[in-house]
Amino acid sequence: MAFYTLGLTFEIVIFLTVIVLAVWAYGIYFNFKKWGLGSTGYHDPLRRSFWLFLATWIHEAFKDGIWVFLRTVVLDVLLLRRTLARSPVRWVMHMAMFYGFLALAALSGIGLLLDIVEHYNLAGYAHEAEMVKDMMALPFDIFGYLLLIGATIAISRRILIKFVRDNTTAYDALLIGSVFLITVTGFYAEWMRGNSFLVGNMFEYPIYAPHFALIHTLLALGLFAFILPWSKYIHVIATPMTLIANRGGE
Amino acid sequence: MADNRESKPLMTGYMMSTQLLEVDGCNRCQECMKWCPTFAVRPDRPGITPMYKNARWRELMAKNHSLRAKIFGGKPLNDDEMKIFTDDTYSCTTCGVCGTVCEAGIRTVDLWEAMRPNLVDRGDGPVGKQSFFPKLVKADRNPYQAKQDDRLCWVPKDAKVDQSGEIVYFAGCTAEFRQQALAVATVRILNNLNVDFAMLGKDEWCCASAMVRTGQRAVMAEHAVHNVDALKDAGAKTVLFACAGCIRNSTVDWPRWYEGYIPYKSMPLSVFLREKLRKGEVKYKIPLNYTVTYHDPCHNGRHLMHEIGRDWAYEASRDCLQSIPGLKLVEMVRNRELQRCCGAGGGVKAGIPDLALDMAKARVIDGEQVKADIIASTCPFCRRNIMDGRTDAKSSIKVLDVVELMAASMGLDMTIPENPYTKYQEQDVLVCGPEKCEVDTLERQAPGKDLVGEAH
Repeated sequence: MAFYTLGLTFEIVIFLTVIVLAVWAYGIYFNFKKWGLGSTGYHDPLRRSFWLFLATWIHEAFKDGIWVFLRTVVLDVLLLRRTLARSPVRWVMHMAMFYGFLALAALSGIGLLLDIVEHYNLAGYAHEAEMVKDMMALPFDIFGYLLLIGATIAISRRILIKFVRDNTTAYDALLIGSVFLITVTGFYAEWMRGNSFLVGNMFEYPIYAPHFALIHTLLALGLFAFILPWSKYIHVIATPMTLIANRGGE
Repeated sequence: MADNRESKPLMTGYMMSTQLLEVDGCNRCQECMKWCPTFAVRPDRPGITPMYKNARWRELMAKNHSLRAKIFGGKPLNDDEMKIFTDDTYSCTTCGVCGTVCEAGIRTVDLWEAMRPNLVDRGDGPVGKQSFFPKLVKADRNPYQAKQDDRLCWVPKDAKVDQSGEIVYFAGCTAEFRQQALAVATVRILNNLNVDFAMLGKDEWCCASAMVRTGQRAVMAEHAVHNVDALKDAGAKTVLFACAGCIRNSTVDWPRWYEGYIPYKSMPLSVFLREKLRKGEVKYKIPLNYTVTYHDPCHNGRHLMHEIGRDWAYEASRDCLQSIPGLKLVEMVRNRELQRCCGAGGGVKAGIPDLALDMAKARVIDGEQVKADIIASTCPFCRRNIMDGRTDAKSSIKVLDVVELMAASMGLDMTIPENPYTKYQEQDVLVCGPEKCEVDTLERQAPGKDLVGEAH
């Protein structure tokens, strides 16, 4: 089945991917430079330096040694210990969204590489690449459902719990709504291809499947590169960095 | 001529680069809002909560440091916006419960204390009477306009206090000039336990906690260096503190300003007394038949628990209280690292006294809910503010220091000798006979109020 539609060619898609990654990378650089407006220590002079932000962050992260750094990465960043201490429900939500998002992003990256191998038949591995891509369908589904569960809990909390609802801003709603929308469109694009995990051929509509997949891709890349680094959603990057810099926090 | 403050961008100079990262690290989980003691009494002002303060700082910074500002040029800061942000930032007591519960691990106390000097430099902060702190302390070396020569005017004639020694008791301005019952009780206990100790007298300067908390760091360096040098000159190896504000500064802030080696360790008095209890050196004579609840001071608890350990921060005082015969210790619902701040800290008592009072009343209600007769603490500022809250709420609950309860039960004479500051004493005190102690309230005899409240 053709994946590309609306006149898009493989080369155009690769070119757009490079653009998206460049915008994202510049966004991250821009934020690092902004954080570099601070000083390197208590009552130290200002440096205004991208590199000194990195140096300060590394200094803080390793202040108590490599084991504390590793412990923080495992317990606080990967297992979200602080969230679990406060709310098991939020912990399930964050874990589902965190690992769902990370795994889907990684699988998408691998998928793109396999596309390149397949398209140019690099080292004669086009067939193998296609086989691996087929094998990736199940993990895509599993982590997709994981993300969907997380996003559903997040939306439910914002709607059902009064205190949370009262303090939800448009920013919060847009972010969670976007993640939910992207996840749902991803599933629908997959279901339209037919023979899908859990739903079979219930939503099969192969003619428009590529179009819907394109919508899903544009939404996901738009959020990833054009919104995430330029808004408060940078917390996706900044929160783990904060946890590491503060050796797990207070 | 009107100043041109609007054209000044938001200053970032006192923020470490990792603190600017922290602002963006807030994931708006709202956990801080559930615990913030200020928001609890001002529910109509969500802007005072950490989540909103971070968001506001981000917005203000974006005016000159966003992509839009880079392409089209920065925008001036609006005075009204800055005033709201300043009010919100200074409505925080820097109690730190938000940092304890923060999912993102943001070190909030350090963050607020780094935001404030930027506001001071820009001319937005501090608020209310907080601006008097540096002037008073610079002029008199204490915030009460008292004479430095009078630092030890309350010491009973028969008490033994050395000028130098390995153990030094750093009493602090409030105990020496406004809550002398605490200072007298401390000296009496140490004498009773045959502890040779020294005090700095006129060489003891204000710990300068109020300056750091309110973002007015100018005086801090001078006081930190002076106090550390004075303690070194006195030969200190252990410095005892019965004031949570002073020990926080001695442990955390002074070393940031002092470049040399610091040879002594700072120790809460309750920890020292617990060691004596464990050695069996403390002998009680009078049972205190009261139900007591312990209020953990933020400065000695959350601020220090990672420096001195949870045992020193939370358990030592409780162990001291539980050792007193007849005394029944009960816990308020919020205790230890999740306790509710009394409202005195962060300059709020001096800057926004009505907010401090409402927070104190909330803490008094916490005490009443567990049917306590006495709220005990180890912080003169908490004591002052909770007493004010108690009076305003017309509650019968009493407020005392752990050291005074111990001294009373040990049967020690806690009479405060007549001195130039007797008329300013206003506190609950224990009056003891041979077999029984009762709590009395010492009314202030001199009219008028201090220029700044007895709280940082």
